[in-house]
Amino acid sequence: MSLGLTYDGCNFFRQRLVLSTLSGKRVKIRNIRSKDDNPGLRDFEASFIRLLDKVTNGTRIEINQTGTVLFYQPGLLYGGVVEHECNTQRSVGYYLEALLMLAPFMKNPLKAVLKGVTNDPTDPSVDKLKYTSIPVMKKFGIDGEGLELKVVRRGMAPGGGGEVLFTCPVRKTLRPVQLSEPGKIKRIRGIAYSVRVSPQMANRIVDSARSILNKFIPDIYIYTDHMKGDKSGKSPGFGLTLVAETLNGTFLSAEQVSTPQGQGDPVLPEDLGRNCAKLLLEEIYRGGCIDSANQSLALVYMTLGQQDVSKALLGHLSPYTIEFLRHMRDFFQMMFKIETQKPSEDERKGGDKVLMTCVGAGYTNISKSIK
Amino acid sequence: TSKMEEEDEEMEGGELCYESAGALRWKEGLQQKASEAFLRQQRAAPNLRKLVYGTVAEDDGNGEEDEEELGGLFRVSRPEKGKKHRADGVDCSRFDPDAAHNWDLEEMLDSIRDCFVTGKWEDDQD
Repeated sequence: MSLGLTYDGCNFFRQRLVLSTLSGKRVKIRNIRSKDDNPGLRDFEASFIRLLDKVTNGTRIEINQTGTVLFYQPGLLYGGVVEHECNTQRSVGYYLEALLMLAPFMKNPLKAVLKGVTNDPTDPSVDKLKYTSIPVMKKFGIDGEGLELKVVRRGMAPGGGGEVLFTCPVRKTLRPVQLSEPGKIKRIRGIAYSVRVSPQMANRIVDSARSILNKFIPDIYIYTDHMKGDKSGKSPGFGLTLVAETLNGTFLSAEQVSTPQGQGDPVLPEDLGRNCAKLLLEEIYRGGCIDSANQSLALVYMTLGQQDVSKALLGHLSPYTIEFLRHMRDFFQMMFKIETQKPSEDERKGGDKVLMTCVGAGYTNISKSIK
Repeated sequence: TSKMEEEDEEMEGGELCYESAGALRWKEGLQQKASEAFLRQQRAAPNLRKLVYGTVAEDDGNGEEDEEELGGLFRVSRPEKGKKHRADGVDCSRFDPDAAHNWDLEEMLDSIRDCFVTGKWEDDQD
């Protein structure tokens, strides 16, 4: 067993546990909210650990009595059929972000049914992950019929009551990528959803978002999705996820969701639509071949790819990604070549871009069952 | 020796006909110009690799050393807001938009026009 790593505090909790699981290195996290009035792990973190325990075999987890110290020794990524009640303090996206990184490296194809909050203002929604992460996975050779992410029931924060199905095939090795040209945006798609409110809300969102985006491109289609009855979860709410698709298959996305019931001032659907459209423009300004929400996902796949050069052009690195790069150095001794690309004077293509280059670690999924 | 070479060049330029003397002036101090340009570029493009992987000096987690003791029994706990906030921050991948960008302004909208198929195309891709 290789040497373990030690960290302080609960920030970047998932990064540490996911990279520990992938690298096989055990990890110890100390001083988890040790000076907080309510010290130790929260329920959603415990729920996340339970999910990791479900998809692995032989994982050893030790938590001290106050919950301020966690010791995690990863087991084998087992996969298979998993059902999990995701704690509603965080949305399903919080849990899914980690599963997306782990799923291709499991022994058996993963079929996960995750229950909880599908849309909240904190984490990327299941809709956003569906529109952006799945295309990223396909670029690395994780594709086929077995790859699916579906909202079966919608559950808004805070009540939840949603259900999500995620299935993912396993791969022995990942394909290296050369993503240096994002291509021009050819169309904008989106989904305006509403549950337990008037279905008219979704239409009002669509109109206001279109009014801004129409200045750029005529090919816009925003679906309206109004789930009813037992598919509408426990709380009312509405929201919008927009995605811009380029000629080269880059998907840039933005989203905005109504304020959860009882947690602040309600928001008008018109304002929500306009704000979301502006967020999409911001995301286009950042640009690159990978949506800013999927930077870490692409980088982990690049790291674990075959021993070949992978390149990806990203927009500004998010603070979360920068921390992820540091953690990848800790767990995999992997350091990327990072080059800034400034747009020339007369180009109107948004902000600076960053070209990330690495040679894959030659990671092979040895536990993948041969059929 | 570089000074000598520069002087040589000037001399040669001087010896040539009148018009070419001016034409060759761009060669003056080439090395200096190049190094200035290089430094300018270095300043403009921060070394991201250093920013990401450079010494992460912030983990001075031994703050206990400065803790005062009251009567040799109690410790004064003063959680340093900034530092603790990071270590115990919310684990979230959200990347907040740049607050300086006002997407109501026409110039902001103009800055991304060529990201769309409706914008201007590069000559080689038309």
